[in-house]
Amino acid sequence: MKMKKFTALAMAALMAASMTACGGSKGDSASASTSAAAEEGGFKIALIQQHQTNAFQIAVTEAAEAKAEELGVQLTILSADQDAATQISQIEQCTNEGYDAILYEPVDPDALGDASKVAADKGVIVINIISACTDWESFGISALSCGDNVTAGETEMQHVADLLGGKGNIAILTGPSGDSGGLQRLEGYENILANYPDMVQVVEPADCGWDTASAQATVESWLSAYDLDAIVCENDGMAVGAGNAAGADSGIIITGVDGTPDGFEAINDGRITGTVSQDGGAMAANGIEAAVKLLKGETLENNTIITTNVWIDKENVAEFE
Amino acid sequence: MEYILDMQNISKTFPGVVALDHVNLQVKPGEVHALMGENGAGKSTLMKILMGIYTKDPGGEILFDGKPYHASNPKEAMDLGVAMIHQELNPILDMTVYENIFVGREMKKNGLVDKKGMIEASKKLIEECGLHVSPTETLRNLTVAQCQLIEIIKAISVNAKVIVMDEPTAAITEREVELLFGHIRRLKEKGVAIIYISHRMNEIFTICDRVSVYRDGQYIGTGTTKELDEPKLIQMMVGREITDVFPKLEAEIGEVLFEAKHITRADNKVKDVSISVRRGEILGLGGLVGAGRSELVEGIFGMHKLSEGEILVAGEKVTVRSPKDIIKKGVALITEDRKVTGLNLSGTVNDNIAMVAIKKLLSKGLYSRKKANKASLEYIEKLKIKTPSGEQIVGNLSGGNQQKVVLAKWLLNDPDVIILDEPTRGIDVGAKRDIYLLIGSLVQQGKAVIMISGEIPELMGVCDRIAVMCEGRMSGEVQRDQFSQEKIMTLASAIQV
Amino acid sequence: MKQNRNVKALISDYFIFVIFIALVIGLTIMKPSFIQPGNLVNILKQASINGILSFGMMFVILAGGFDMSVGSTVAFAGILAALLGNGNYPLILPLIVAMFAGLCVGIVNGVGVSVGELPPFIMTLGTMTGVRGLALLVSNGKPITGISPEYRAIAAGDIFGIPMLAVFLIIVIIICSFITSKTVYGRRVYACGGNLQAARVAGINTTFIRISTFAIAGLLAGFCGFLMTSRVTIGQPTAAESYEMDAITACVVGGVSMSGGVGKPWGVVVGSLLITVIANGLDILGVSSHWQKIVKGLIIVLAVLIDVKGKGKKN
Repeated sequence: MKMKKFTALAMAALMAASMTACGGSKGDSASASTSAAAEEGGFKIALIQQHQTNAFQIAVTEAAEAKAEELGVQLTILSADQDAATQISQIEQCTNEGYDAILYEPVDPDALGDASKVAADKGVIVINIISACTDWESFGISALSCGDNVTAGETEMQHVADLLGGKGNIAILTGPSGDSGGLQRLEGYENILANYPDMVQVVEPADCGWDTASAQATVESWLSAYDLDAIVCENDGMAVGAGNAAGADSGIIITGVDGTPDGFEAINDGRITGTVSQDGGAMAANGIEAAVKLLKGETLENNTIITTNVWIDKENVAEFE
Repeated sequence: MEYILDMQNISKTFPGVVALDHVNLQVKPGEVHALMGENGAGKSTLMKILMGIYTKDPGGEILFDGKPYHASNPKEAMDLGVAMIHQELNPILDMTVYENIFVGREMKKNGLVDKKGMIEASKKLIEECGLHVSPTETLRNLTVAQCQLIEIIKAISVNAKVIVMDEPTAAITEREVELLFGHIRRLKEKGVAIIYISHRMNEIFTICDRVSVYRDGQYIGTGTTKELDEPKLIQMMVGREITDVFPKLEAEIGEVLFEAKHITRADNKVKDVSISVRRGEILGLGGLVGAGRSELVEGIFGMHKLSEGEILVAGEKVTVRSPKDIIKKGVALITEDRKVTGLNLSGTVNDNIAMVAIKKLLSKGLYSRKKANKASLEYIEKLKIKTPSGEQIVGNLSGGNQQKVVLAKWLLNDPDVIILDEPTRGIDVGAKRDIYLLIGSLVQQGKAVIMISGEIPELMGVCDRIAVMCEGRMSGEVQRDQFSQEKIMTLASAIQV
Repeated sequence: MKQNRNVKALISDYFIFVIFIALVIGLTIMKPSFIQPGNLVNILKQASINGILSFGMMFVILAGGFDMSVGSTVAFAGILAALLGNGNYPLILPLIVAMFAGLCVGIVNGVGVSVGELPPFIMTLGTMTGVRGLALLVSNGKPITGISPEYRAIAAGDIFGIPMLAVFLIIVIIICSFITSKTVYGRRVYACGGNLQAARVAGINTTFIRISTFAIAGLLAGFCGFLMTSRVTIGQPTAAESYEMDAITACVVGGVSMSGGVGKPWGVVVGSLLITVIANGLDILGVSSHWQKIVKGLIIVLAVLIDVKGKGKKN
């Protein structure tokens, strides 16, 4: 009996372990899609996304497809499903299949350098989008088209500071601990907070894993114990959760990053104050443009292409929906 | 030094229960020493203390080879020279013979496991025992008897001076018992002492030299098998005189109540067997282990697919797709292995009693705890189940009482035909007698009983008629006035074409 | 002696309840606002979805199974409910569709396990992955917005100060307790989990029982999906990630044996409240998320360890 129970527990532990392993490989190559606009003779370009499971990434997919059609290149989109190993094999695969250029958002900034180098050495144009590999230039990566998470964080926090008049109790909701994008946004927050000694973080930043429900529960709990003037969230999904907990027109300033439809909806009905758009679509489109330029033998003015952040609130939200 | 093992004044209390009360055990080198007593007498507890599974209460002492002995786990006990072969064998079925022999004390060479050395050593040991299996065979492919011999080999290979055997013959055939006894005699010659636990009287008198008897945690006494006889021994165990071991109640035999014709199982373990039983009759099913008796009744009961066969209850044809179909017609099967197919060990007595006939425990269509308690109490009294209440977890009861719970569960459904597969295996004399009397009273009420047993004296004592199976077929039937051990044995080992 | 033993048994039986009370007292002392009515309402709201999910899981585990797919099912059902909950249809439609979708997933699991004889872990791991894919496919990977105000009001509303979510949980608790302790079906679920073979020999239709427990888990997961969308006001394909783990935790901590056949509904209630109170309490104390994970892990292991040890002594 005791043994049976022990075995059961061991099983449970095993499951928990394998869960994380399995999580990465769901739907593996199923999400490959080829742009219908592909012309015979056009350049063959591959785009490997980190994943395709949120509005931001879907915007990347759609913008890339539109750009490919515009420029008449043959575009294949793959999803690495948040798994660096998958992404490495996809890069190798694309190199072997003779793609002219490979664009990708690295799942892990440190894992993909060597694979990129091999591709670049074979004459493939490699471009990072959205975020970069560490020391990307040394691995033969030709260009980087990205937004700047630090700037996005700074833009968001600056608006919060302005709205609060530089004084008040604030709390921060972060993405999964250790996520590089999230850490950069946090860095942006801290850069601004350094200028405003009267803006006080009354609780430790909470990891809500980009999840609305989890953010909602955390903020509900906070609100019963703390007097908060602003809740600064690293994405719109969590901002919506915070907005749900606080209610519409609560007087609490709630902000996010991304500019996704759920965020816009919440801005419209007053649950959240505003968001900083990270124009993923533009990053992808700029990346493809750069790739085509390089393939045509032209040179880039600057091999780091930055997409600017835009503050969106009730005033201008209609332009983005 | 007269005794290799001398346990004096051993006590063990569990919260609320005194399991052992100052008991003694003295074992001489080279003797086979039987431990006897009903279930719950304390034999197992005493052996668990010896093996280091339980810690004895302070006071009392154990001398082994003249020196104070203390083992805090079975491995330590083995290292000191005490090995135990368990009632429910626990070999690792997916490991090979040699791995099982050396599990926990693997031979090493240069810090690595010495596979070759272990295989060779195993081979030698296996040959010495007259067993014909390869050391690299997986245990799953061996018979129960072979597995048991592997356990014995394991005990020999650690040079144990005392080997405890707990019901070693419970699951093996008569022929294999003879082989086992041969091995025991050989061990004796080497000076190894065997502590032998069994409920089978004939074995005690065949193989054992001395017997120690326990009752309710008390030490009753020790004697040689020469000066003791069966009635005396039973009296020591039970505390009162039992005159007839196999009580037989008179019952009137009526019309045929249950018939199974040309039963053939899809897996061919039973081939074209027909049996029938009348009202008031006890039909015995005899045969060696593997003859297909359990397979027959399980097939009839819908637990396995039949490729052919017809089942009639009270003259009416029954289509059996699953046990449910035949239970509805008033047939009950008390299966051979209560732990596997009989009981919900983690459930209470009530839970178990409610398994078959929960419909009888409903009040206004809902399960009633009150009714379940009442039903439990009724059977606790009727079957003399030793349990504080119906809320007791069945896993905490002794084997005999568990078996009675299985019976109670079926009897609540008030079946007309009751099939019992080895109902008395592994339970003590007193509980056995209770079960014989119960069977007798059932047939007196006009029910029909089919009983499977591997013990021929039991079948001869209890049944009106014995049908004997051999290798999946029916080899013959004997009426009560013709009963003889030879006749049944001949039928059981007859190989018919 | 006997008295002493009973007290011990009682403590062992209700140990998790004792831990729970101790935790509540501890948190109140450290942060008095913990016990304020407003926060108690929060706890009820936060415990509800996990609580309902845990009751579905309880049936599966009691019958000797295991379901990894409930989290994905919540997300999938939530997406469907969100698509239909935009105000164009009466609210009953998203409710029925969400529950029906959950039921289907449950039946697939049940059939795979009891007819296909697949290990529950493998079978439901498959549906976990597959159903998550369905949720992403149906939503095209994007959150579904445009939930009607009436639909949002379901989770946001309350009756006499008790949040609606908690009312649903209480209804589920009452129904499930009734089923497990009072109905023939409930007793048979325990019998199947206690010893499947013996239950079959006793004439119980074990195939049906096992399929039905998965179906219940699926149905309740579908219901949770409906509530989830109402609560977060959007349908998210990535929602309810690893909720199955929380549900399993609530069951195990609440004394439901992973090997089946043992466990009581009230234990699951306490287990699920315990998980919520830990998260809520640590949030209120402002403890960092990293610590929350450590504390949650410790409490799970400790609770089960004490449970196993307590039982070990009885045998």
